[in-house]
Order: sequence, then C-alpha cells, then structure tokens
Amino acid sequence: MLNDAALRWMNDLSAQGIFLTDAGLTIQGWNHWLESRSGRAAAEMIGRNLLDEYPDLIERGLDKYYKDALEGQIRLLSQRLHHYLLPIAPQGDETSFTMMQQSARIAPLVEDDRVIGTITVIDDVTERISREDQLMRLLSREQAARREAEMANRAKDEFLATVSHELRTPLNAISGWVQILLKQGVANEFLAHGLAVVERNVKMQTKIIEDILDVSRIITGKLSLSVTQVNLAPVVEAALDAVRLAADAKEIRLEWALDADAGPVSGDPGRLQQVVWNLVSNAIKFTPGGGVVNVRLARVGSQAEITVSDTGKGISSEFLPYVFERFRQADSTSTRQQSGLGLGLAIVRHLVEMHGGTVSAFSEGDGRGATFILRLPLLAVRSTGDLLLQSRDKLKGDGTEPVFSSGGRPGDDNLKLRGLRVLIVDDDADARELLEVILLQFGAEIKLATSARQALAVLEDWKPDALVSDVGMPNEDGYSLIQKIRALAPERGGLTPAIALTGYGRPEDRLQLLAAGYQVHLSKPVELMQLVDSISNLTSRDEKKLYTPVE
Amino acid sequence: MQLSERQNDALAELINIAFSRTAASLSELTGHRVVLDVPKVAMYPISELTTRLAQFLPAELASVHQVFTGPLTGDALLLLNYDGAVMLTELLTDEAIHSHRLNESAREVLTEVGNILLNACLGMFGNLLQVRISFSVPRLHLETLGEMVKSLVIDKEELRYALVVYTAFRVRDSAIRGFLVIALSVVSLDRLIQEVEKWEDNQGN
Repeated sequence: MLNDAALRWMNDLSAQGIFLTDAGLTIQGWNHWLESRSGRAAAEMIGRNLLDEYPDLIERGLDKYYKDALEGQIRLLSQRLHHYLLPIAPQGDETSFTMMQQSARIAPLVEDDRVIGTITVIDDVTERISREDQLMRLLSREQAARREAEMANRAKDEFLATVSHELRTPLNAISGWVQILLKQGVANEFLAHGLAVVERNVKMQTKIIEDILDVSRIITGKLSLSVTQVNLAPVVEAALDAVRLAADAKEIRLEWALDADAGPVSGDPGRLQQVVWNLVSNAIKFTPGGGVVNVRLARVGSQAEITVSDTGKGISSEFLPYVFERFRQADSTSTRQQSGLGLGLAIVRHLVEMHGGTVSAFSEGDGRGATFILRLPLLAVRSTGDLLLQSRDKLKGDGTEPVFSSGGRPGDDNLKLRGLRVLIVDDDADARELLEVILLQFGAEIKLATSARQALAVLEDWKPDALVSDVGMPNEDGYSLIQKIRALAPERGGLTPAIALTGYGRPEDRLQLLAAGYQVHLSKPVELMQLVDSISNLTSRDEKKLYTPVE
Repeated sequence: MQLSERQNDALAELINIAFSRTAASLSELTGHRVVLDVPKVAMYPISELTTRLAQFLPAELASVHQVFTGPLTGDALLLLNYDGAVMLTELLTDEAIHSHRLNESAREVLTEVGNILLNACLGMFGNLLQVRISFSVPRLHLETLGEMVKSLVIDKEELRYALVVYTAFRVRDSAIRGFLVIALSVVSLDRLIQEVEKWEDNQGN
C-alpha cells in the first residue's frame, strides 16, 4: 500500500521520464513528465505495445536492449552513441536539435526470480549537450589558432634564417672589396670596379632592410600613405629608369607603352613607384638574358591598368596561388637560383590594396613567362585644368623622384653647393666624416659639431647657410637642438634651414621632425644626390622646390 | 588457489566468446570496426591485485563498476587508464577535437561500453551455470588503483580472489589497453571453475 502511494507521487514528481512495460513490452505505466514532453497521455499509451508505438526503436536496434532487459540485464543508452531513446521534440526553441537529446537506463522488473517487465528512465540532456558542443567548438577554435600561431612562428624562424643569409651575402662582397681597396697600390680599373661592386651591394642591402621595415609596418598596421593626386605615367617611367641598368646588364629588352591619359589616381606616388619597381625588377630577375620585359599602362573603364609581362621562367600552377604571400618563395631550398626574401610581392599586394586596387598574377606554367596585372581605381576628374597642371608640376618633383634612384647625376652639378656653409651635427665620427667628404666634393664649406651644445655655439658664431643634423644623439637629441635653434632670433640663426637624418624612416617620425622645425627629413643610409639636392633647394640655389617647409 | 593451465585456457576461450559479442555490438553501435584482443586470463588473491596491476595502471584510472548478486556474487570492473578512457570515447564517438578530459557525455559513453562488456561476460557465466545473475546499475569512478581495490576489500569481506582479464580495444588503428577484473567469493569461484571444466569436457566430445 505504502509503495503504491509512493509510486503515484513518483509518477507526478519525477523530473525524468519513466515508463513501465510488462514482459510483452506492453506499456503499463507512463509518467507525468512523459505525458507533458511527448504530448501523449498515459490513458492513451497504457495498453499499447512499445515497439508498435515507436517502430524506430527497432530500426535503431534498440529492441535488442529491451530483449536484454527482459533477460535480466541492465542496459544504458548514452546520448553520444544513440542521441535519444524516444523521438520527442526538444523543449523550448533555443536549441538547434530536432529531437530532445536523451540518455536512458533500462532495467528488468524481477519478481520471484522471474522478469515480469521493464522500467525505463529517461533524462533530457539537450541543454547539457548544447553546452558541451559549444565548449568543444571553442576548444577547437583555440586549438586551430594555436596551430596557426605555431606555423606563423615557424615561418618567421625560416624568414629570420633567410634574412641573415641575405644580409650576409652583400656584406661579404662589401667587406671583401673594402679590404682589397684598402691595400696600397691598387690599379685604377680595380678601384673603379671594386667601388662599383661595393655600391651595388650597399643598394642591395638597403633594399633588403627597407623591405623588412615595410613588412614590419604592414604587420603592425603602421604603414601609412601620403595620398595625393597622382598621374601614373611619370611614376611608371621613374620605375623603369631605376631598373634600366639591371635590364641592360642582363641584356633584357625593356619595352613599354604608356598611355599618358591613364590617370589620375589617388595615391602615394612613392609607394606606387615602389609597387611598379617591384613588379618590373621581379620580371627582370626571373627572366634569362636575351628575354623581354614588357610594361603597359592603359585606361580600362574606370580603372588604370598596369601590365608587367615577361618571357621568364614563369610560375608553376601549384605556386601561383601563393605568390603574394609573405615569406613564400617557389624555391626555398638553400641552393635556390634566386636570392631575395620573398617579401616584394607581399608588399606589392598590401600597398595596392591600400590604394583600393588589385594585383593578380598569371602564368601558363614553368618556362612560359608570367604576367602581373595591377588595377587602380581612377579618380573622377572634376578638377579644372589649372589644378591638374599644378598637380603634374608637383609630381615632377615628388612622383618622378625615384625611391631607389641609381644615384648618379650629370657632372655639371658638381659645384652645386659652392660657397655654402653647412654645419654637420653627428655624434658618430664616421658619419660626420662621410657627410663632410660628400659635401666638400660639391663645393660646400663645412664645420662639424659632435653634440647639440657644440652645434648651437658654432651656429651663432659661424652663421651657416644650412644645418644637417643626426636625430638620435646622447644627452641632447636632434629634437631638442632644433627647438633651441627655432627659439633664437633670426639674426642669431633662428631661421637656418635644417635637415634631419634618422636611421628609421617611419612616417610618424617624419611628421614629428617636420613639426619640431626641420624642413627636410632624410633616412639613413643617405642617398648622396638627395642630400645635395635638399641642401641646394633649401638654400634656394635651385629654382625647383622639392620640399615645402611645414610650419 | 591456482588455475591449472587447462582451466585457464577454457576460461580465456569462454571470455573470448563474450568479447566477440561485445566487439560486434560496439562495431554496430559506432559504425567503426571495433576489435577486442584475445583475452589473457590470470587469477590473483585480492591482496595482490594492486601489485599485479600497478605497472599497467600507474595513475588515475576510469573504472566501470557493476555489482552482481544471486547464485554468483561479486564485483565486475572494466579498468582503463584515464588517458586511454578519453581516447576510447573520442574514437567511438568520432570526436575530432581532443579535449584530454572526460566530460559528462564521455563518461556516459564509457559507462555504456563497460556495461556492454561486463554484461556479456557475466551473462555468459550465468548461462554456463544456468543461473540468473542480478546486476546493479553500472557506475563510473575516477580513482586510483589503490582506492579501487580498497573499495572491493571493504565492501565484501568474504571476497578473496579476482579474475583479471588483460585485453585491448582496437579502434581505427589505435589500441587502448583495458583490464577486466571480476572479484568473486571463494564459493562462487569454485562453482565457476567446476562449470568451466564441465564445459571444456563437453567441448572435447
């Protein structure tokens, strides 16, 4: 009696599904939980056969579990292996499951050593499973992120090894030739050749370091553009000028067809020239002697299109999808034919995308040449002719100035700085001497200062026409120096034109330096002609104004 | 008490029949081919159990424990190393993400696997002795070997011997070592061995 009363309460109170069958699997009990979850009343279910009501139990092999139970065994059903026992809709609507997820236990009902039926207890585990699955997804994402980070780390390690190797190669040539040239009695043709080798390798190394800095800026998101209205023809011409020597050296024919009307675009002329230079010098690098590199600039719809194609080694279809990826090179073996960091094209793509353009690579495969197509959105031309003219003029100064110029200028510039007084400030003796030697060659008069304090004294005393100062110096740096100079009255040298030299050419440094009072900022290593031109311009010896002083 | 070579072989053969059934059930359930290695059987006094198994189960283990009563009484356990238990459930449920721990659902799976295996073995013994064995609900425990053995000794003082069955689950190119421990009273063990011998004799005829 007590048991019957308790059973009635269990039927009502249980937070699990419970049903009973007799030994023929006819349902004998169906609790309240099951009524409410399955929508089927006890009155309806009792007396019916379990397998008739739920034939999918047979399809899923679960009739066997009841057979085992009828033989006296206890059977468990885990959600992960069965998902559910009875097909019941899930509760609530915040689940992605179409069935209530269940775990269940089936036990025999034994009386006098005889199995008289079964009892089944069902748990709704839908929420728990959702939670577990979500945790698993998080874990999976976290594991994927870790794997990716490890891969990136490995790529960086390899990159570092390549960088070290690439930096050492030109250094080797430089150091070797300098040792030869230091010996007395070197023949003249040897001297000229040696210096040429040194110069070429210095440029190579400068380029490597610039690429690394660019990539670092790309990674940290610090690469910024100085955007103006740019006509592309002069930009492409300048890039072609810069690679002409390299092409000649390999006897590669450089062909070009530039549509002067393809433009203007909105962009950074220096960066756009770097992009074109990268594509063209890449083409030259991978084209054997006697080949052809063709460069075309055309207007296609609302876009300017620059096509660089070559007759070189081409790109295999396996590598083609990866050409623009950082640290990727088709041949990464130590005996590879081509040197380089594999950064050029990654930088190209990034710069092009910053300009709102696209760059794509095409090749019919190994040995069949390659074509790179660069597309940039054209500016809607709404400006008057005057404005266009003005910007073209500006470009003559900015845009056509080769970023990686070959340095040399006609010899009649040799006395460009004749009679100009230039004060050089640098704490490093070699740097001071180098600047002195360069500027003396162009006819300038030089005084040297090793510190900001010394520089101020010389300035007031000697009244130089221009100041060239290092920025990073112990005790007092180039910022402090220029602020003190600009605080002076004009007659004491307060308006002396000043050029800042830094080892790190970040755009934000440049702006800070100009804001502090310098007229011009140049990065080390200093390009000889750029320095001479800057001094010449600042002292108004040249009519062409390259730089606009920033107040 | 020691098993003769003949008794040992006969027991191993019988258990292997139960293992084949278990493997077939698990294969059907998971959709993967599951194989249980041919069992190696040994019998030890309970007091030696820790020493005998320590080298195989050095750290925390997962045990599925089912008590059985009736004409044959004792404890049946499936023992797995914790890591092995994680791996087995991942393999059986196609879990591609390795979490290195048993969550609630994985514990359920493991309990079901243990239930199938223990039921198959004990069911086979029951049939052999032509008696009905009553089972308790299987429970999963995460414990050390020492704790597991202690629970046997404390609960049932008359238990003296344990049949230890060495095997391995082979799923998808992986093998997970598992141990079946059936702790029996001396009386139950005597009866079992007698029946095993009879069965063996009949096989020979």
